[in-house]
Amino acid sequence: MVPELPPRPDKHQAISDTAAGGSAVDQGGHHHEQPTGLLRWLLTTNHKEIGTLYMLFALLMFFIGGTMALIVRAELFQPGMTFVVPEFFNQMTTMHGLIMVFGAIMPAFVGLANWLIPVQIGAPDMALPRLNNFSFWLLPVSFTILLSTLFMEGGGPNFGWTFYAPLSTTYGPPSTSFFILAMHLAGISSILGAINIIATILNLRTPNMRLMDMPLFVWTWLITAFLLIAVMPVLAGVITMMLLDINFGTSFFDAAGGGDPVLFQHLFWFFGHPEVYIMILPAFGIVSAIVPTFARKRLFGYASMVYATASIALLSFVVWAHHMFTVGLPLTAQLFFMYSTMLIAVPTGVKVFNWIATLFRGSISFELPMLFSLAFIVQFTIGGLSGVMLAIAPVDFQYHDTYFVVAHFHYVLVPGAVFAILAAAYYWLPKWSGVYPNVKLGLAHFWLSVIGVNLTFFPMHFSGLAGMPRRIPDYALQFADFNMLSSIGGFLFGISQLLFVAVIVLCIRKKGEKAPAQAWEGAEGLEWQLPSPAPLHTFDTPPEFIPERDSPSRH
Amino acid sequence: MHSLLPFGRWLLVLCVIFASQVQAAAINTSSGWNLPPGVTSISQEIFSLHMIIFWICVAIAVVVFGVMFWSLFAYRKSKGAKPANFHENTTVEVIWTAVPLLILIAMAIPATATLKKIYDTSDADIDILVTGYQWRWHYQYVEEDLSFFSNLGTPRSQILGEEDKGDFYLLEVDNPLVVPVGKKIRFLFTSNDVIHAWWVPDLAIKKDTIPGFINESWTIIDEPGTYRGQCAELCGRDHAYMPIEVRAVSQETYDEWLEEQRQMLAEDAAGSQREWTMDELMDRGKGVYNTYCAACHQADGSGMPPAFPALKNNPMMITEEGRDAHIDAVLYGRSGTSMPAYSGTLSVADIAAVITYERNAWGNDAGDRVQPSEISEMLSDD
Amino acid sequence: MLQVIKSVLAAFLGVQSEKNRQQDFQSRSPWPFIVTGVVMTLVFVLVVASVARWAAS
Repeated sequence: MVPELPPRPDKHQAISDTAAGGSAVDQGGHHHEQPTGLLRWLLTTNHKEIGTLYMLFALLMFFIGGTMALIVRAELFQPGMTFVVPEFFNQMTTMHGLIMVFGAIMPAFVGLANWLIPVQIGAPDMALPRLNNFSFWLLPVSFTILLSTLFMEGGGPNFGWTFYAPLSTTYGPPSTSFFILAMHLAGISSILGAINIIATILNLRTPNMRLMDMPLFVWTWLITAFLLIAVMPVLAGVITMMLLDINFGTSFFDAAGGGDPVLFQHLFWFFGHPEVYIMILPAFGIVSAIVPTFARKRLFGYASMVYATASIALLSFVVWAHHMFTVGLPLTAQLFFMYSTMLIAVPTGVKVFNWIATLFRGSISFELPMLFSLAFIVQFTIGGLSGVMLAIAPVDFQYHDTYFVVAHFHYVLVPGAVFAILAAAYYWLPKWSGVYPNVKLGLAHFWLSVIGVNLTFFPMHFSGLAGMPRRIPDYALQFADFNMLSSIGGFLFGISQLLFVAVIVLCIRKKGEKAPAQAWEGAEGLEWQLPSPAPLHTFDTPPEFIPERDSPSRH
Repeated sequence: MHSLLPFGRWLLVLCVIFASQVQAAAINTSSGWNLPPGVTSISQEIFSLHMIIFWICVAIAVVVFGVMFWSLFAYRKSKGAKPANFHENTTVEVIWTAVPLLILIAMAIPATATLKKIYDTSDADIDILVTGYQWRWHYQYVEEDLSFFSNLGTPRSQILGEEDKGDFYLLEVDNPLVVPVGKKIRFLFTSNDVIHAWWVPDLAIKKDTIPGFINESWTIIDEPGTYRGQCAELCGRDHAYMPIEVRAVSQETYDEWLEEQRQMLAEDAAGSQREWTMDELMDRGKGVYNTYCAACHQADGSGMPPAFPALKNNPMMITEEGRDAHIDAVLYGRSGTSMPAYSGTLSVADIAAVITYERNAWGNDAGDRVQPSEISEMLSDD
Repeated sequence: MLQVIKSVLAAFLGVQSEKNRQQDFQSRSPWPFIVTGVVMTLVFVLVVASVARWAAS
């Protein structure tokens, strides 16, 4: 049955005209002389160039944050103070977390959004190209400030990426105000990026593409962008309160002045929990694009996937205090957050089942993006299952703040989110560069990464259960074996990422098998109609989109 | 399109990874790789909840990954699989949503029951106030008028690798918390500075100690023994170095221990009035210095400038004129630096001894003694 | 109205059949869905909270 399409509102045309008009300056620009060299990148308003910048920035930060992780792992290779002093160790754990969350994973997803959303919905560019430029260039400023704190007197942030007060306020290092400034800039960048993404998705879809015709990556990013707009201001609020406590004598979080250190945690996690989903929802979108391609079968339960994403996003606002089971919440609150946390596992599980149902009775091949996506499904599920264990409040008293938690969230973020980002890179690199990624290097990268990442993080479950607290530079002897394994795995994973750089360099230098427009046999979506590599300006006129033929929700 | 890795090899490598993980699990059996069942009824309940949810997760993983890997194997293109064309089945979706929901509800019921027991702190026999300090624990027996600090017992030489590490490396303290078995003990938790967390796995108690708040928890320990734990909330530089040691003993032993502690307190009080010899002060001062000062100012007094100034050859500590400033710094701390005030932490005898030690060790030659009576006079003037 | 509530519940679970979805998307205005969604979210939170309250007593 072909549904009758709702008539397209006329105002859409008007809006997209304005939007096109808005970017006409830029569009017209390619008749004039384009700036070259550094200025070209500094001034660019092109979504593809900005997307590339975001992703290269994320890659750089991934290596900086990764080096810090390796310093941590080197210290933890053996018990005893062997390599660095505790002050520096704490700075490394803190900066590693901050850089990976705000500097690597989030910008990588925003970069993918920049590159892919316009070409997936048939738009000529992002809706607000200059804002796009601004939100990218805030990031290098932010992270330069953040990294420079390491060289200030008293060192950089050393209070963990969750920066609990009063350790980060009354007892924080003098550089904390710079840390706050850096976080503000990163937060502004995220909010502006999110506004741009929402404006693009809602206004610039090609005629006839309804919301329920959009690829899932676009859907997950739409919901993620709303989450960002909802929670980044909370982060901004809480760090502003810190700033006032540190510099202007207020006592929001200082018990001696009548303040409340637990309030800090409520505010932080009201931001922090949706933030966790901000870092995983776009990964769901990526995997939902790749699995159907290489199973040569349409995604199972498209509508359910969209609904489950929305449901996860809503629920993510009412589970925050499960990070705070040990702060002494009243029993009723403890139960509420335990129940709501258990419930959020359900729509998340539904997604995994849907991917597996997509594989079922497909025609499956194992190209590089598929390998990373399959590894994502397995490893993310392991992280999800340990998350269910952590949801049980009385048992969480034993897990909380141990390496079991470290294992859990790294499983979600590294073999989870990072693997999804790598899968996306291997999947769309032919479109971006015009050549396929080198298969031999890619396979080596994949297998070394899988082995390295599991060797690093799986033993952490055991060291945590055996009783090792997180964020300690030195530990009791019974944790020694597991830590040694984790350190070996960490170095293996870290070093094997250099292979990924090699793959990218080869693609940029166009060394490799040339890719056609339709780079993957089973791929669906508007981006595959574009030549490979995609030209700088695409879809100046909206592409044809017939829902009955092109929609991922068609019958 | 691309040369593909043969599926067999793919599977083999996966098996190797899995085997390496199982092996990782087996390596450390002697020292444990699972939660301890613990020694209280609550800890054992928590342990069995943990094992139930663990096996549920294993079962889910086996089913989900089983179907997934079977699909990957059975429907691979290289064996000529043709894709089916279905993309929705509401019945199946409702089932796979409802089943996890029911499992979780089934889990929530015993979890709720256990949680309610944990929250029932009524009718305690003994109350102990636990206060977190950077970086030591303070225990106050509320009914007994007895309190003391509990510091890391592991010598720094073991941490720095100059000496072999002992069996209880980083899990031993100078003054353990002593409690009787079979009595309901209520713990009250608070903090003097930042947030810490008091965690003893065998008792299944982990509670944050938060400045300005008092949290509660309780335990009844069934078996005599020594139970060790650590601070579980990042609290600054020496977060790794504030362990917990709980010694559960019979009621008689506990009573004897209380008596001993009272005598020691009485001796200390008497000691603060009498004149101490240089040797006595230096001897006691060295112990206090290594416990409280050496982490920053180093055992040889060289410090870590500029954050932690050297005490060796420090003008304040080798001249008569610096004496008052020296005493002041130890008693009241240095504002704007990480030097804390010790007037509330250390006994007057300890303060006198450590100041004397600092003025006469490592070649410092002030030559003077600071008497406990002098310190107690200064404190009573305030 | 019942249809709207059913669809919102389906969204909470993350399961929706294509037929019902098509039917929903025939509707001219999204507002009934949005308003019902917000109300149902509040109801959901209140239900979980009262279950927790009941279990705690």
